[in-house]
Amino acid sequence: MNRKNVGRATLVALPFLLALIVDLALLAAFRDRLPGQLASHFEAGGQANGHAGRTSYVLVTVVLLVVTGALWATMVAKGNFSGRAYRLLVAGGYAFAGFFGYLMAAVLIVNLDAGEGAPGVSFPMWQPAAALGVGALAAGLGFVLAALGPVPQQPDRSAEAMGGERIVLADGEVAGWARSADSWWLPLVALGLLVLGVVLFFVGNWSAAVLLLIVGVLPASFARPYVSVDRRGITVSGMLPWPRIRVPLDRIEAATSRDINALAEYGGWGYRIRPGRTGVMIRSGEGIVVRLAGGRDFAVTVDDSATGAALLNTLVDRRRAGH
Amino acid sequence: MLFRVDPTSTVPLGDQIAACVRRAVADGAVVPGERLPAARVLAESLGVNVHTVLRGYQQLREEGLIELRRGRGAVVTGGASPHRARLLEHVRDVVADARELGMTEAELLALIRAELDNT
Repeated sequence: MNRKNVGRATLVALPFLLALIVDLALLAAFRDRLPGQLASHFEAGGQANGHAGRTSYVLVTVVLLVVTGALWATMVAKGNFSGRAYRLLVAGGYAFAGFFGYLMAAVLIVNLDAGEGAPGVSFPMWQPAAALGVGALAAGLGFVLAALGPVPQQPDRSAEAMGGERIVLADGEVAGWARSADSWWLPLVALGLLVLGVVLFFVGNWSAAVLLLIVGVLPASFARPYVSVDRRGITVSGMLPWPRIRVPLDRIEAATSRDINALAEYGGWGYRIRPGRTGVMIRSGEGIVVRLAGGRDFAVTVDDSATGAALLNTLVDRRRAGH
Repeated sequence: MLFRVDPTSTVPLGDQIAACVRRAVADGAVVPGERLPAARVLAESLGVNVHTVLRGYQQLREEGLIELRRGRGAVVTGGASPHRARLLEHVRDVVADARELGMTEAELLALIRAELDNT
């Protein structure tokens, strides 16, 4: 990491640190006026329906802010974000820290002088709205602050610079490339979600069970993904014909094969949307990165990506020549 | 793996698809355990009939290069070494040559048997 990247990482870590300090300072300052069990969970009307000890409060606040802050610092320093995407990424970090920092502070404020297990604690509906407002303000601040420091310059991403591997195809020859992108964790996550959903269903928490089952069906259908490149473009498909993710040929400028760092460049695994890029991250390592018309990137991690990228370039050429 | 077929060629499309897989195993581009695309998916991808793809897969199964399992699709078998794939390619060439020469099945088998007995 060079000095500029250290500066950028510090810039984006700052709001997380600030939120952490404010929340913990509030907890320390008001420790005599706060109950041992903090009202921490509220129903839609604002009435408290769950409590948590101070230790859990500290744990949740510290873990969430530190882990998210570290993730954002990594993305800013090593994620190859540049230009506007970089500024949006920084803004996103500020927004999260502002929103979450405010929310955790608000939880302390509503608990002030509440007494042990008091039923009277309520969380006014304007508080979440205020948290969103703080998040939005913080995002604007981050967007501006990011521009004050050195913004990483866009590397040369013209079609020529992105690589020129091609596959020689005869006239009339039809070609398709396909590769499974199996991983050990995808079926486990899907199975875990579905099992948890079924268990909750029988325990009686209906709404949560249905939500989990719906959320679990998606990774289940993508438990053994397949990446294919053909006359229709690049497709990531699951076990069923739908859902699938497809980028048609006419939206593709060029494709290349390179190593992808899922955590730094896409902030994690799964279907990821980040400023200026979208990706299907199954692991870190080699993958196909597609430059779309309009400047966005679409990436998918898969073995033998060089062949896939070369065929994609060939098919894009052929399509252009045909029009 | 890369599939390429030429619809204008006289070679049946199913044979062409099987040849792609054989080639990929021979090159080491595909290793045992690798899942081939589902017949339906590959058919859509190449714009050919599903039965054409299945004919190709069936051929590979008879050669012992892939296993076809319900629900699991086509999987490259543990015994599918590059050597074996290359041998299969040779066998196909030999058969094609013999046909071109107008040899009968019995004559070709006799030739192979004689070669086996000699070594």
